[in-house]
Amino acid sequence: MSNLLRFPSLIAVTGVAALALGMGMALLAPAPVSGAAADALAPPASFAGITDEAKRSAALFTELGRVLTSPRCVNCHPVGDRPLQGDAQRPHQPPVFRGEDGMGLASLRCTVCHQATNYDPARMPGHDPWFLAPREMAFEGRTLAQLCAQIKDRKTNGDRSLADLVHHIGDDGLVGWGWAPGPGRTPVPGTQKEAKALAQAWVDTGAACPE
Amino acid sequence: MTALSLTINGTPHGPIEVRDDLSMNDFLREVLGMTGTKFACGAAQCLSCVVIVDDDDGTSATRPTCVTPAISFNGTQIRTVEGHAKEGKLTALQKAFVAHYAFQCGYCTAGFLNEAQVFLEGLQATPIPRAGLEQAILESLDGHLCRCSGYVRYHGAVRDVVLADPARYLR
Amino acid sequence: MQPTRREFVRWVAASGLTLALARLSPAGALPFEASQTLPGPANAPLIGRARIDGVAKVTGAKLYASDFRAADMEGWPATTAHALLVRTPDASHVYEGLNLDALPPQARPTKVVGATDVAAAALRAPPFYAGDLFCPVGQTPLYLGQPVALLLFESFDAYDRARIAFRDNRALLRFGAETGPRTGPNYAALRFTRIAGPTPGAPDVYSPLQQGWISPGFTEDSGRPIWRPLPTAEGGDYARGATYGEEIRALLAAESSDLLVLKRDFQTQSVDPMFLEPECGLGWYEEGAGALHLVLGVQSPFEAAEALDYMLAEAPATVRPKRLDLDFASLGGGFGGRDHTPFPLYAGLAALFLPGRPIRLAHDRYQQFQGGIKRHAFHMRSQIGIDRATGLISAFAADHVLDGGGLANYSPSVATVGATAATGIYSIPKVDVTTVAEHTRGVTAGSMRGYGTLQTMTAIETLIDEAATALKIDPVDLRRRNLLTAGGRTMTGNPWTVSVRTPEILDKLDAHPIWRDRAARKAAAPAGVLVGTGLACCTKDYGTGADCSLGRVEIDAQGHVTLHADSVEMGNGIGTAIARRVAAILGQTADAVTVARIDTFQELGLVTSGDPYSMTQATQDAAAKNPRWVPAISSATSASIGAHVGTQAAAQAARVLFRFGLWPAALDLWGIKAGDPREFLWEEAFWQDGFLIMSGLPPLAQTAIAAEAHARKGITGAMAHAFSRWAWAQAAFPLGGLDWAAEIDALAVRQGDGPFEVLDRSFVFFPPTDYNRIGTAFTSSCGTAVRVEINVPGGEIRIAQAYSVFECGEVLVPELVQGQAQGGFAMGVGYALLENLPPFEDGPGNGQWNLGDYVIARASDLPLHALEIEVLPPVSPKEPPKGMAEVVMIPVVPALLNAIFDATGHRFQSLPVTSAMLRKVIS
Repeated sequence: MSNLLRFPSLIAVTGVAALALGMGMALLAPAPVSGAAADALAPPASFAGITDEAKRSAALFTELGRVLTSPRCVNCHPVGDRPLQGDAQRPHQPPVFRGEDGMGLASLRCTVCHQATNYDPARMPGHDPWFLAPREMAFEGRTLAQLCAQIKDRKTNGDRSLADLVHHIGDDGLVGWGWAPGPGRTPVPGTQKEAKALAQAWVDTGAACPE
Repeated sequence: MTALSLTINGTPHGPIEVRDDLSMNDFLREVLGMTGTKFACGAAQCLSCVVIVDDDDGTSATRPTCVTPAISFNGTQIRTVEGHAKEGKLTALQKAFVAHYAFQCGYCTAGFLNEAQVFLEGLQATPIPRAGLEQAILESLDGHLCRCSGYVRYHGAVRDVVLADPARYLR
Repeated sequence: MQPTRREFVRWVAASGLTLALARLSPAGALPFEASQTLPGPANAPLIGRARIDGVAKVTGAKLYASDFRAADMEGWPATTAHALLVRTPDASHVYEGLNLDALPPQARPTKVVGATDVAAAALRAPPFYAGDLFCPVGQTPLYLGQPVALLLFESFDAYDRARIAFRDNRALLRFGAETGPRTGPNYAALRFTRIAGPTPGAPDVYSPLQQGWISPGFTEDSGRPIWRPLPTAEGGDYARGATYGEEIRALLAAESSDLLVLKRDFQTQSVDPMFLEPECGLGWYEEGAGALHLVLGVQSPFEAAEALDYMLAEAPATVRPKRLDLDFASLGGGFGGRDHTPFPLYAGLAALFLPGRPIRLAHDRYQQFQGGIKRHAFHMRSQIGIDRATGLISAFAADHVLDGGGLANYSPSVATVGATAATGIYSIPKVDVTTVAEHTRGVTAGSMRGYGTLQTMTAIETLIDEAATALKIDPVDLRRRNLLTAGGRTMTGNPWTVSVRTPEILDKLDAHPIWRDRAARKAAAPAGVLVGTGLACCTKDYGTGADCSLGRVEIDAQGHVTLHADSVEMGNGIGTAIARRVAAILGQTADAVTVARIDTFQELGLVTSGDPYSMTQATQDAAAKNPRWVPAISSATSASIGAHVGTQAAAQAARVLFRFGLWPAALDLWGIKAGDPREFLWEEAFWQDGFLIMSGLPPLAQTAIAAEAHARKGITGAMAHAFSRWAWAQAAFPLGGLDWAAEIDALAVRQGDGPFEVLDRSFVFFPPTDYNRIGTAFTSSCGTAVRVEINVPGGEIRIAQAYSVFECGEVLVPELVQGQAQGGFAMGVGYALLENLPPFEDGPGNGQWNLGDYVIARASDLPLHALEIEVLPPVSPKEPPKGMAEVVMIPVVPALLNAIFDATGHRFQSLPVTSAMLRKVIS
C-alpha cells in the first residue's frame, strides 16, 4: 500500500540545496557530455566519435563522474567521519559519526533510523546494509582527475580491481539506492545499469583519467 | 495492513492491524493515545520522539519513532516516558531532571529521559573513568535538540545521578 | 499615526457571541482541567522547590495542546477527525485551485474549505491578520505559505497520506500565469529624532516624548517612504522633526577632523522561533448547543478568543456558534512565535466546517516552517559620530528596513522597538533613526524573543567595538564614557524609571578573567587556532506599555492554596514563579495552580474599551469612571513580563488574603484585641516552615490560621487585575473598614466558603496616556564576554569560555533565571553562527524546510562546562522583579562577532557567520 505514497517525479530542492548546487557543486560536477539531460546519462556509444581512445576513456569517466559526484554518492563518501546529508550536502543532522565499522557510534547507530528500505513518509532513506565508505575512499571535494586516480588505486578504492569497480558501481545494492532515494532527494542521473555500462566502457578503453 | 504486537512498558499490546507505512510515532500517539512520546520534526533530527528498545540480549538502545514504521517494532519490547516511574515513584534520573530544573517547556524531555536512561544503564554494564564522564554524556545526548534550556541542566542532572552512585557507574 | 507598542485588537462585545466564562461542567474538575492543574495534590510532595510542572513533564502526562484528542475530552464524541492546512509554495503565479484528482483515492478529504466557503459564511480575518484567510482562486497568493485550503478528513490514515502527498507533490496545487509577487503598502514607517538641550539638565530641543511620534506622510512609487521633509502643508509635525533629523545627518556628513564617523551596513537574517511543539489545536463544533470548543496552545489566550470572536461575528446565525468554549494548555515552547498567531483561526474553521466531529489541526515541522511566525530580517545602515578628543558620541543616525513578510502582524511594533533600541546602552545627544517595515511575499514575521532590540543592538555593539579600535580606546572604557545612566534621557526623551546597572555590568566584564586575560590567551594560541575575545553589553525593555495580569488566590480550611492566573506556561515557569511569590505571602506553596486562564475571573466583571496604547487622556478619564473598566483585560505572555507583571495580580491578591483573612485570624488566635497596637504590625510577621512568626508571640501553624480564617468567615479568596503602562495602575478598595490602596485596579474577594464578590474601587489612578510616547521605561541589562577559537583553515569555531552577567531585581526562582540565561545563550549562539532562513522561494515558505537544513545549537556547539552566569543582587531588598528572559540572549550575539573580529581581524556585517564564511576570511 505504500506505493500509493510514492511520487517518483517529485524532487523537492530546498533553498540551501539550490544554493549549494549553484555555488559549490557547479565547480565540481561536470556538465553532461553528449547533451544528456540532467537526469540522464549518455550511453557509451555516444562517445564513439572521440577517436583517441585515451580521450574517449577520459570522456567516459567524465560522464561517469556525474554519478560519482552526485550528492547520493558523495554524502556517504565524506572527508572525515561525519556523513553529509541532503542535496545541500550539509553535515548530517543529527550529528553521527563513522564509528569502528562505518555504521555509527554505539550511542547512535545508522540502523536506528535507516531501515532495510526507504521510509518515504518521513523521507528516511534505507537499505540493508547502510554504512559509510571507508575514510580513504572519500569523494568529497575531489576533482574528477583526483577522483579517477583515487578509485583506480587499490589503496584508496577498497582493494578493488577495475572489474570489481565495475561491479561495485553497477551491481552493489547500496550504490543502487542512489537511483531510488525517495522523495526529497535528487536521484543519481540515469540508471545503475547505464552507469555500469559507462564504467565498463571506461575500463575497456584503458581507464584513462581526465586532466 | 499488518498485525502488530509489541510490549510497551511491560504491557503487551496487539495484535493490532496497522497500515504498513504508519509511523511508530503515530501508532503511539494516534492509535494508542500515548502522547508522552512527542512529535517535533518528523525527520529524526531532534530525537524528541525516541523510545527505548530492549533487546533480548539484555542491551537497550533508543530509536526514533517518527522515521520508523510501526510494524518495524513488531515483536519488540519498548519503554516510553510513561513507563519510567513505578507506582508513583520517580526514578533517580527523573528526580534529578526535576530537581535540576533540567527542562523548561519539557517537550524534549521524554527524549532526553530515554536517552539518558539508556546511557546510565550502559554505564552500569560498562563503567567508565570519572574523567571521561562529561564527554560521554555529551556524546550520548548530543543528538537531542532542546530550544529552551541551553542543555546545561540536563547534562548536570545526568552527571549528578552518576556521581551520586559512583560505585555503580564509574570505574 | 501612532503605532502601538504591541498592537492589540479591540475587544468586540457586540458580536453576540459569548466567550465561555466558566467551563461547562459545574461540578469538579474536568479531565482537561485536571491535566492543567499543577503540581496537583498527588505530585506536590514530589516537587519540593522544583517546577510545579516537573513531575508531569518527566512522566509524559498529557499537558500540551498536541497531547489531546477527542477521547481525552470529557463529554466529547470519542473519535477525532483531522485537518490539513494546505499552504502555497508559490507567490508569483496565479493560484488556480487544488488538483485533488491527483491525490491517491485513500487520501481524499471529506471536505475542502477555501476562500469561497469563508466568504459565503461571512467570516472575516481579524485586523491584526488583515489579508485573505485563504488565497482565492484566480489570485496570486499574498505571501509564501499563505493558506489556500483546509482539507478535512474523517480518518487519520487519509489525512496522513494527504499530508505527505502535499509535501512531496507540488502539482497538487495548480498555478497559472506568472504575475510576479504582489506589492502592498508598508506596515509602518516612523522617524525617531531627538536633539538634547545644550546642557545635561536642560530640556530637549526636540524629542518624540515632547513633540509626539512622527511618520512620513509620503511614499515614492516604489512604496518606500520619503524621509526628507517635503515643503507641503500636510505633515507639518513630520517636517519639523525631519528637519532636525536632517541637521544630524549633515553633521555626520561634514567630515570634521574632530569627529570619527563610521557608516556601516548590517544585515540580520530571518530565523524561526523553532519551539519544539509544532502549533496544534483540537476543536469540536457542538451544533446542538451551538458551542465551538477548542483546545489551543498560544501565548495570547485572550487575543485568540478575541480573534476567533471577530472572525465569527458577522456570520449568519445558521453558521455562527453561540458560544466559544476555549481551553488553553501548556506550550512546548513559544519564544514569541505563539503570541498573536493566526493558527487558532484555522483550528476554529476546521471545527466549524465539520460540525459534530471533533477535529484536530496540527502542523508537522515542514508546515511549521512554512506557516509559523518568523523573526524579522533587518537591513540597517548606521552612522555614528564620536568626538576624537573625548571619546563621547555626539551623534547617531540609522535607517532600518524590515522584511515584515506577508501579514502585518507585529511589524509596526518590531520596527518601533528596534528603532528605539538602536542607541543601545548609550547617552547620545543627537539621534535620528528612520524605520520602515515592508510587506513582502515572505512568510509573515512577528514576535520573537528580543524582537527589534536583538537586531539593532547587535549593530550598535559591533559598531562601538569598531569605533574603539579606530580610536584606540579600550572597548570597555569607550562604553563607560558614553553610558546612559540613571536620570539620563533615552532617544525618545524619557529616562528609564528602574534601576540602571550597566556601570556595574561593565565593571564585572572588565574584571572577568575572560576579558582580563585576553592578550595572554591570544598569545598562547596553539598553531592552527585563532583565538579572539569579545564582549558586549545590552539593555532590553520589558513590558509593552500596556501590560496586565489576572490572578486568583484561595486558601481552604486546611491551608491548601489554589492559584489561577492568565499568564501562559511555555517553559518560562510562570506557574512556579507565581506559586513562589504567593507562598512567601501565604506561608504555603500552592498545590493546585492553573495558568493560561481567562475564564476564572468573571466575578471581576471587567470591561474595556479603546486602545490602551493610543487612547487620549480624556477618553481614559471618562472610561475610568466605570469601576469595572480597565485599559486592557489580559496580556499575552511575552515581552519578558512574567516575573514583573505576570505574578503581580496573584501576589496582590495574596496580600489582600493575608492582610484581611489570615492576619485577623492570627490576631484572634493570639488573643490580640482591636485597639492593641500590634493589630497593625502585620508587615512585621513572617513565615517560617509553615508557621507565622511574630516577635514576642507564639508561632502559629499556617493550617490553624487558615482554619480560623474560615471559621470566622474572613477573607479566604481574592482575585485581582493589575495594569502597567510603565507604572502600575493604583486603586483603593473598602476592606476591613479601611481604604486599602494597592497596585491593582480591580478586586473581588470571597469570605469563608462564600462566592466571590467584586469590590468597587474608591479611587483609581491609571498611568497617564502620555506615557505611550515613551519608548522604553523598564529595562534590564546584560553583558556577555566570550572567547572563541577558530580552526585554520577549516573555519570551525568553538566557544572556549563564556560569561554572562545581568540583573533582574528580585529573583523569584533562581533556577528559572539561570535556565533562561543558559537557554538565551544557546539561542544567541544559534542566531550568530548557525540559523538562517533565506527569503522567499528558497526559504521556509516552500514547505521543504526541516531541522536538517535549519540548524540550531546543539550541546556540542556550546561551552556547557565553561559558561558562567552571574546575576547581580537587587539594588535593595524591595526592588521588584525585572524581566530578563529576552535580554540574556542579546549581548551574546555582538560579543561573538567582536570576538570573531579579535580572532580574524575581519568584521562581519551580516548574520549568521558560518564556518564557510570564516574559512574564506582566514585563508
